[in-house]
Amino acid sequence: MDIFRLLAAAAFIFCLSSLVYQMTKLLIAGNKRDFSKPSGSEKDGIVYSFTGAMSPFEKESAYLHLPTYIAGLLFHFGVFLSFPVLLLMIIFPKILFISQYLTASISLFLLISSFSGLFILVKRIVKRDIRAISGADDYISNGLTTFSLLMSSIALLTETLVPLYFVVYSVLLVWVPIGKTRHLIYFFFARYHLGRFYGRRNSWPQKKVSNG
Amino acid sequence: MDSILKFKDIDSKLLTHLNACVKCGLCADSCMFYKKFSDPDYIPASKVALVSSIYRRYNTLSGRLIPSLVGAEKMSQEMAERMVDLLFGACTMCGRCVKHCSIGVDIAFVVRKGREMLAEMGLVPSTLQSTVDAAVNTGNNMGIPEDEFVGTISWMEEELRDELNDQNASIPLNQKGKRVFYTLNPREPKFFPLSISAMAKIFYAAGESWTLSSKYYDVTNYGFFNGNKREAALIAKNLHDEVIGLNSALLVLGECGHGSRANRWEAPNYLCKEYEFDMTTAVELTSSYIREGKIKLDPTLNKEAVTIHDPCNLVRNGGLLQEIRFVVNSSAQNVTEMTPCGNDNYCCGGGGGLLAMSEYNDRRVGAGEIKADQIRKSGAKVVVTPCHNCVDQLTQLNHTYKLGVKIKTIAELVADAIIIEKT
Repeated sequence: MDIFRLLAAAAFIFCLSSLVYQMTKLLIAGNKRDFSKPSGSEKDGIVYSFTGAMSPFEKESAYLHLPTYIAGLLFHFGVFLSFPVLLLMIIFPKILFISQYLTASISLFLLISSFSGLFILVKRIVKRDIRAISGADDYISNGLTTFSLLMSSIALLTETLVPLYFVVYSVLLVWVPIGKTRHLIYFFFARYHLGRFYGRRNSWPQKKVSNG
Repeated sequence: MDSILKFKDIDSKLLTHLNACVKCGLCADSCMFYKKFSDPDYIPASKVALVSSIYRRYNTLSGRLIPSLVGAEKMSQEMAERMVDLLFGACTMCGRCVKHCSIGVDIAFVVRKGREMLAEMGLVPSTLQSTVDAAVNTGNNMGIPEDEFVGTISWMEEELRDELNDQNASIPLNQKGKRVFYTLNPREPKFFPLSISAMAKIFYAAGESWTLSSKYYDVTNYGFFNGNKREAALIAKNLHDEVIGLNSALLVLGECGHGSRANRWEAPNYLCKEYEFDMTTAVELTSSYIREGKIKLDPTLNKEAVTIHDPCNLVRNGGLLQEIRFVVNSSAQNVTEMTPCGNDNYCCGGGGGLLAMSEYNDRRVGAGEIKADQIRKSGAKVVVTPCHNCVDQLTQLNHTYKLGVKIKTIAELVADAIIIEKT
């Protein structure tokens, strides 16, 4: 048991340090100086990029694809929940089992989250056009994350599966900084850069179309 | 070649956007090319993948060790041909997909970087390159000789005098010390000279101190499209130096979407300097005339239903959504919006240099059917847009899809509504 826990801890450290390395690279690369005269506020654009622009009413990728959007939200909430769960499982495993009700609730949410991931994976396999643009990384990243969430959900209820849970998470954590799962950090930088771009040009925050 | 594939001089923005796409494919419905042709290659994520796969293959450890697992690809003849076809021929860099991307990947920016790679490799489509060559060699992208331009301006000046019944009305050329240095899309002197006299009428009504240059009047910069930054910088420098030479305080960018963007937002970065003079677009200047009461408009003089086509480089990528609407609503009685409109409006299909690349004509006009449908559904009789490239594409769509509408620039719409007060 301790070996598996150590394995997961090592994988976690590898993942974290790889992501920190990539983040450091992004920060060191820096921004090129923009010599154009701004007509809007970069700061307002960045704030909007993380708030209003994320509204499902603002994005076709959300409002034209509501089932996928909702599945995506549940999937990502599950992922974010699963990491503190993993940390607790490594460091203070007893805490999670203090309340049966709490453990069951977390397990249920992770199960729903894993089914959401499965839905997205199946969609990728079934839909011709998405399949056409998909590569190994797309299937590995989604499949591995989905399976990890499922294992997380089961392991919370079935202690005998905890070693397997640690192994699965170790594989996931090694893959995170290599595969597209690294968007975990790039997402935030992308929103930041997009906010700067549109904010400087006064395109964001989005203006209303009005007559007169 | 090595420096191209190694992405030397990469900054945080490029590094981010090359790594952020998850290929969810949800951008597909935001792209006019995919919507029209349903070809998965046209999905914006697929275009990003072309560039990012090259980046991964030559710049990451995983791309070198396990390329097939992480989507890393070698640059090959086949890959280069695919990139030319999709990055030049199936993307106008309108950025509609960017706004709707679930992550926030600046897809148009990545496509532009891909074009820059292809330019370094000498793979710019020859039709587009010849447009850039004309601008570099003659000062304007249509290669209009200076005496022909001067003749056209002289003719338009006569027309203006007749229309205004004022022999002092003028279209000044090469005059030093004027406040405004005005620029044109070469399509204006070549095909649409009335748009020059329309803007001259606005200047006349506003009592503006302005001039045109007979040598460097071209607002366009196809170096923004062909990906050759050296050529883009040269074209930008010619215009910059001419403004300095004529000692003008304000460079006014004529009605051209990409030209406005290239000069307003990109050129200072091409030349690595803050400009010594101010810059604004013709729409913003006209808007300021209206707000300050320098020109008076009677919207009832434009009675037909008008709809607005939003040029991508002026609205989504330029922030002029409200300025355009203010001017149009001040000039026309009955304004109706397309669906969708504003930042969500579709590209006309002629952007990204596609109008200059005749090899993609069928694809361009085909993708434009989405715009044609928008226009038809708006019920408008007049489509107004502050971009001459859009005017060209919309004119073709009008003909191909039998829309039966008039296509106008904003200056033409304003000029038709202007009230000249004789003192």
